[in-house]
Amino acid sequence: MPSVCFYFQVHQPFRIKRYSFFDIGKDHFYEDDEKNQVILDKVSEKCYLKTNRKMLDLINRHKGKFKISYSLSGTAIEQFEKYRPDVLESFKDLAKTGCVEFLSETYYHSLSFIFSKEEFRRQIEMHRAKIKEHFGQTPKIFRNTELIYNNELASVIEKMGFKGILCEGVDRLLKDRTPNYLYQPAGSLKIKTFLKNYSLSDDIAFRFSDRNWKEWPLQADTFASWVHQIAGNGEVLNLFMDYETFGEHQWEETGIFDFLDYLPKEIMSHSDFDFKTLSEAADSYKVRDIYDAPDFISWADAERDLSAWLSNPMEKEAAKRIYALEERVIKSENKDLIEVWGKLQTSDHFYYMCTKFWSDGDVHKYFSPYDSPYDAYIYYMNVLADFESTIDLFYKDKKEAKKLEKKSNL
Amino acid sequence: MPEITKPAPVKSPDLPKILMLGWEFPPVINGGLGVACHDLCIALSKYANVTMIIPKSNPDFVVKNLNLIGLNTIDAKTLRNIGFAGENYKKLNKVHYIDTHLNPYYNGKSAGNQPLDLKSQYLKSIQIGNETAEVFHIDDLYGGDVIEKVTVFGKLAAKLACSLDFDVIHAHDWMTMIAGMEIKAQTGKPLVMHIHSLEVDRGGPNSKGWVYQMEKHGMEYADVLMPVSHFTGKIIHDYYGIPMSKIHTCHNGIRPVVPFRGEKLFKEKMVLFVGRLTRQKGPEFFVDIAEKVLEYNQDVRFVMAGTGEYFNPLLERAAQKGIAHRFHLTGFLNLDKVRQLLSIADVYMMPSVSEPFGLSAVEAVQFGVPSVISKQSGVSEVLQGSLKFDYWDVNRAAQYVLALLNDEVLSEKIKEDAYKDLEHISWDNASQTVIAGYKKFNLIQDKVTS
Repeated sequence: MPSVCFYFQVHQPFRIKRYSFFDIGKDHFYEDDEKNQVILDKVSEKCYLKTNRKMLDLINRHKGKFKISYSLSGTAIEQFEKYRPDVLESFKDLAKTGCVEFLSETYYHSLSFIFSKEEFRRQIEMHRAKIKEHFGQTPKIFRNTELIYNNELASVIEKMGFKGILCEGVDRLLKDRTPNYLYQPAGSLKIKTFLKNYSLSDDIAFRFSDRNWKEWPLQADTFASWVHQIAGNGEVLNLFMDYETFGEHQWEETGIFDFLDYLPKEIMSHSDFDFKTLSEAADSYKVRDIYDAPDFISWADAERDLSAWLSNPMEKEAAKRIYALEERVIKSENKDLIEVWGKLQTSDHFYYMCTKFWSDGDVHKYFSPYDSPYDAYIYYMNVLADFESTIDLFYKDKKEAKKLEKKSNL
Repeated sequence: MPEITKPAPVKSPDLPKILMLGWEFPPVINGGLGVACHDLCIALSKYANVTMIIPKSNPDFVVKNLNLIGLNTIDAKTLRNIGFAGENYKKLNKVHYIDTHLNPYYNGKSAGNQPLDLKSQYLKSIQIGNETAEVFHIDDLYGGDVIEKVTVFGKLAAKLACSLDFDVIHAHDWMTMIAGMEIKAQTGKPLVMHIHSLEVDRGGPNSKGWVYQMEKHGMEYADVLMPVSHFTGKIIHDYYGIPMSKIHTCHNGIRPVVPFRGEKLFKEKMVLFVGRLTRQKGPEFFVDIAEKVLEYNQDVRFVMAGTGEYFNPLLERAAQKGIAHRFHLTGFLNLDKVRQLLSIADVYMMPSVSEPFGLSAVEAVQFGVPSVISKQSGVSEVLQGSLKFDYWDVNRAAQYVLALLNDEVLSEKIKEDAYKDLEHISWDNASQTVIAGYKKFNLIQDKVTS
């Protein structure tokens, strides 16, 4: 009996402002408050509220048989707390149905696994606490930023006690096998890997409104019939996508909400098919084969590797510099420094610096709040210069405070 | 330098036949227009039979694959027709000549057969045997009564065009617009106007004089406009009221060079400006940017290569700001000297107020110099690898200069990206775009260039 597993990514970064060279040393607030709020408002109205309402309706209508999973980044949750508590409430309502699972990820939606395992674990713990606080769940399944993944990651995550991990179903690693089973990561023993079925996922996430696509306009029954084709050759169909697909990337006018409205019914019209949260699927199905990913893969861009964040020298330099601060920031035990440092790790900052102009660059441009990747880099490095001097100042003050203390003790 | 070989060889009869009308042309050049026309013609000759009419040509200057006609010269065939067989003229077999009596009023196709009655200070009689012929004679392209010059040029070119076979008229800038319109009126052939620069660029948006009127009238009369950038296309639309549907952008190309790195004789970094010191190039912004940068980094020298009416005011402005010790005006420099500067520059700066293209920024790229250029330029559309600012945004430009001077990762990355852009910036690409434009507007048959 095959199961369909929906997982939606909900993420918003704290975008940094057009922080100029002349601001260094003068302005220690880096976020573009206004832009962050405007974007969150827009996405909340167009996507989060509407889609949450639709999901709640579907769960009620199908009497608990429709199940879904979410991953909310820590930065997204913080922004809901700050700007849109109504959206946070609607997620809590979903959590109360018992049909919704919340996954684990790095709090800052960061690339920390690549640069610092310690920071990586710290962020997972932070995120776990945040999810527990709002939704009363402890995540059992992990998904790394933008599905960045390799064997080592799976092994680290297994040791942290997770029972499942999400990953892109990359053709070159599947080697003609189907993504529609659970796999065992090479080098791990217990943890199960969920592979994204990118073909069916992208039919919804990317192609749905494409008028040049031969399947346009896509109807729920057509899509369900493709889903049903896996019967006999698959157990778990993983439909993973950005939650903003609904209403934001695919506007309401494209009919995406109507599609969503009919989809569960159409999929369950075949009595063998059901919906499961990722934890339920992990409990219900055995692994069928080994998935060997020695090198990093991801769900981003055509390359499905790290090139969306770490392919050019600017991205590498920026990432190197921010992670080089780890020891001094953490040892400071200063809450503000640690928080700013965390926010500067969000992968989006590096995504905006990407210069793969002529192919995927378009997508990067769509999401970027800046005029060019160079601007993204220049502002980030200016911020970093100011942040570094703030850290210096912190230690200098501390030293002097100690001196004063000594003096007064004498 | 252009190749100098034997006169135009026989071309395939299948290729479209283009009648070009130019003003500046090597070796008689004033700015970038002559070079651009020349290089475009050469590249285009691969896809078309090109005949180019210009005011002045030098019999020693022959361009391969191009039928070049200077109105200052005389055609050997015509000489034979009027019965002159002097040995001295035998060598000139591709030079054309206009009948003595020129009629300034065209009246349909028959105009070519009618004598033209035209008096002008720019016509010069020459004695050929017993006959008198008149040729176009101007000492320099832009001095004197330039309106009369372009008018006479137009009449003569139109007269001459009656003896030529072509599919498309392709005129360059306002100086040849009268010629283009006259020829279109006489022959009914489609008229393309290639726009390299407009009065609105040179004189600002309030320039509404004779040249502006000429441009507006010419562009309205033309069938297709080919500006050298979308930026210029937008000016054509916004300031001249021409519908976008007539506009087909053709970005310029550039001649390949063999770049070299020179040795700087001072330790400071160097920021370079190359261009005429006129309003259009925004030289005063360069001074303001320099001042802002020097506030934060004193180890920089700012060099301006070029001359113009802003020379003295700029000198004063720099002195007034107290940055004269880091600010250098070189005056006019020839190409070799400009290249020497490019070879030691660390940043190229182009703060143009209105720059239809801006080939100099591409030259900087060829020399591996990262560039900071205004968004009000055509070249910003083809150079991904550059930092762009609104010409009035001095702070932003200064920030970019500082970033490039302080951050090697950034400057190397921009250089690398700009090199990639260079692959797309060629005269061959430009001429293919021109041909594509002819086809798009059905000026030529599709099959003939396949």
